[in-house]
Amino acid sequence: MDELTKEFVAESQEGLERMELCLTDLEKRPGDLDLVSEIFRTVHTIKGTTGFLGFRRLEKLAHTGEGLLAALRAGKIDATSKLIGALLELLDRLRAVLHLIETTGAEGARSTDDDRDLIALLVTLKAGSIATTANERPAPAMSDAQRPVSPSDQAGSSAPAPPVLILAASTTQDRTLRIDVEVLNQMMNLVGELVLTRNQILQSSPAAQNFPELARRLNNVTAELRESVMRARMQPVGHLFRKFPRMVRDLSRTCGRRVRIEFEGQETGLDKSLLEAVRDPLTHAVRNSVDHGIEPPERRLLAGKPDEGVVRLRAFHQSGSVVIEVIDDGAGISTERVLAKAIERGLVTPEQVASMTQREALQMLFVPGFSTAPEVTTISGRGVGLDVVRANVEQVGGSVELESRIGLGTTLRLRVPLTLAIVPALVVRSGDQSFALPQNALVELVYVTRRDADSQIERIGASELYRLRDGLLPLVWLDRLLDLKPNTSSESQGFYIAVLESEGRRFGLVVDDLKPPEEIVVKSLSAVLRKIGLFSGATVLGNGTLAMILDVSETGARAGMRPVAEAVKAVGAATEPRTAGRVELAPIALDTFVVVYETWKCGLGEGRRGAWMAMPLSAVERIESVPIAEIEYAGGRPLLQYGGELLPLEDEDEVLLEMAAANKPRDAGATATILVCSRPGERPPKRVGVVVRRVVDVAPGTLLDVTAEVCAEPLVIVKDCVTTLHRDFASQGARPALQEIA
Amino acid sequence: MRNPAAIDIDLRDTVSMCSLRAGAGLFGIETTQIREVLGTTSPQRVPLAPEYIAGVVPHRGEILTTVDFCVLLGLERRAGPGCVLVLDEQDNRECFGLLVDSVGGVVTLARSALESNPSALDPRSMALFDGVFHMPAALMVHLDPQRLRPSRLAESGMFAAARRRSYGGQR
Repeated sequence: MDELTKEFVAESQEGLERMELCLTDLEKRPGDLDLVSEIFRTVHTIKGTTGFLGFRRLEKLAHTGEGLLAALRAGKIDATSKLIGALLELLDRLRAVLHLIETTGAEGARSTDDDRDLIALLVTLKAGSIATTANERPAPAMSDAQRPVSPSDQAGSSAPAPPVLILAASTTQDRTLRIDVEVLNQMMNLVGELVLTRNQILQSSPAAQNFPELARRLNNVTAELRESVMRARMQPVGHLFRKFPRMVRDLSRTCGRRVRIEFEGQETGLDKSLLEAVRDPLTHAVRNSVDHGIEPPERRLLAGKPDEGVVRLRAFHQSGSVVIEVIDDGAGISTERVLAKAIERGLVTPEQVASMTQREALQMLFVPGFSTAPEVTTISGRGVGLDVVRANVEQVGGSVELESRIGLGTTLRLRVPLTLAIVPALVVRSGDQSFALPQNALVELVYVTRRDADSQIERIGASELYRLRDGLLPLVWLDRLLDLKPNTSSESQGFYIAVLESEGRRFGLVVDDLKPPEEIVVKSLSAVLRKIGLFSGATVLGNGTLAMILDVSETGARAGMRPVAEAVKAVGAATEPRTAGRVELAPIALDTFVVVYETWKCGLGEGRRGAWMAMPLSAVERIESVPIAEIEYAGGRPLLQYGGELLPLEDEDEVLLEMAAANKPRDAGATATILVCSRPGERPPKRVGVVVRRVVDVAPGTLLDVTAEVCAEPLVIVKDCVTTLHRDFASQGARPALQEIA
Repeated sequence: MRNPAAIDIDLRDTVSMCSLRAGAGLFGIETTQIREVLGTTSPQRVPLAPEYIAGVVPHRGEILTTVDFCVLLGLERRAGPGCVLVLDEQDNRECFGLLVDSVGGVVTLARSALESNPSALDPRSMALFDGVFHMPAALMVHLDPQRLRPSRLAESGMFAAARRRSYGGQR
């Protein structure tokens, strides 16, 4: 295929994409002449170019379509939905022919590639319109969902390929990218600068006086170049949304639903490669929403909702990642049905179900092969579903969440990182080799001394478990898994456990040593090394050595970890279950890791025994066990000499007083648990020690946006329980920072 | 950087070969098929990789999978660094590295002097070698990079006898 044809195919495909949008819009606003003109222009351009390039079949199709559109533009015919159906069919056919040209170089001459039926239909529509009769008035949008099979439908079934297939098959566009010439010029400038700097460095030597200056310049140029390349790779999420109006239109007709699609945040930028990665999961989610989420119009009316359902796609940036939500106002997911199905499939026992929260029940939907649809339709319900969505999204370092309320609708939330090329990672050493662990899978780090190892590690059969607070954490030894030489030099020292979480598994990876975290540049591996399966790539570390990047979910799977819904903890505390809440639960920031601790004084002082409070993990530097004898008092305030500074202690719960009363003063035995926290926004960070009764767990939490009438304290949902967040540190709900818990 | 030494004297019969050594043997690869010769490097080992993979080396912003030629020949794995040749993988537009003991010079040879593999060769060498050049002083084994591609080595299964030492209780 020559350059000209390639360009033509890419341009036409883009034009057709616009035309598709216009057509679906036209269906809603049949009188909009601007839309008609835009569609006309697209078809006209295709016709002109094809004639020039000698694609007769395309030319003929485009010509007939142009004639029909001219009549439409002149007001001779009305934009009936039948007409729009025919035009959409024309669009599909044009697309199919373009695809043929792209793959084979020719437009197809087989007997199946016959367009006479379609051309005849277009001609009839045009001719029939000249004698416009009273019985074909402009139909309001989407009113004919249950119309009898029309000629256009029949023609549709004989089209070369079903529309959905064609949607997935447009490939040229995936490989080409439009970039602002300005950005390109700027990149070229920077490359020029890079070459100049290199020349100077080649003539200089490390001992030369201007060398530090040169190194600095090189650093600046690199950073700027990186930024501009990243910017060029950013694409608005809207590109992805473009195909949905048509898809929803077609789907809603096949399923007998009335659905409107809305967009929000289309301009949100996302790396091109990631855009491709979320394309399929999103398509799947929208399809699910239309087919399973939105109820048929009659049932919606009965439920007191407008008969037209809404599927909303919403994209926005949030702390270094892009969130895309698929929100529908449909029936919601019935937890009972999910659980009944789960019991039927033998995934859980009725006893387990009794103690399950709603969130845990919804987790069942991510189990491979799970489907609650009572019947399998052609569109969805085959059970190849959410598990694939989750696997796809997690593959690019993202996550998937599902929220649903009966009768109100379902929200599927995809969260993907801004870019794949550069990720923050923790560098670990094992068997004298360095490995990189993506930070997003890391929950916390634990140091275990040799002395403690024996008492804190339990063995059950072949597996080893570490006693982490109240739970048991399955362990994976990295050196054994990778068949490395065990590190003998650190026999006397301890080791680190990186607590990792991926695809619902949580496990501890035992490594010899930790190195400072780095922003690593991810490089792909050749096929032979990819086959090992445990590495998702490699990177060059700051010291110039290479390190393999561990695929966390695969590591967990290889070591025999099964995804288990986290064991439900009996909570005898002052919290209400999430499902019963009447408060509008609008999460403002998700996945904030918090340290959950027990307190007897909850918030404003009116707590009950065993209530929980939470502290954002990002605020906690260390969790220390301090002998009570080391705590000193000055001016009635408890203080601790901590690493060369004085740490003021905060003891709202009066734990220290109680302990002092229970033990004789200077009794060395008792220890107090102290969260060493740094206050937000103070530089240099000023630390404070928060005395707590007991640390319960470190867990992901969802910050809630609650008004003062509901509760004056900031709230967070942890393990499905509403928990009060420590008010002084509430604003620190950001990414989980690297923590060390000793 | 293609070697400019691909001298095309208009005798179509000649071919310029880059000589290399591995163990006691002398081998040659056509210079046009070599992208670059990296100086002495020691590739970073990749755990669980097949035995014939020496490891990975960074090369022009990519990670280059490197084949240990000595291991392919059935020799001991070298402890110290070696010389890495960057070779093209024809169809996939990828390249891979070949780790050898040392790289010699470029010699121009007559294509007609190339003889096919002697039939007495063991199957391993049969699969690796692409004929032999008779040189005045010695024999030079002709190597075709396409036969040494990591993906092909993996398919052939002949070299897959990767070490299977004890695995810890993690399986």
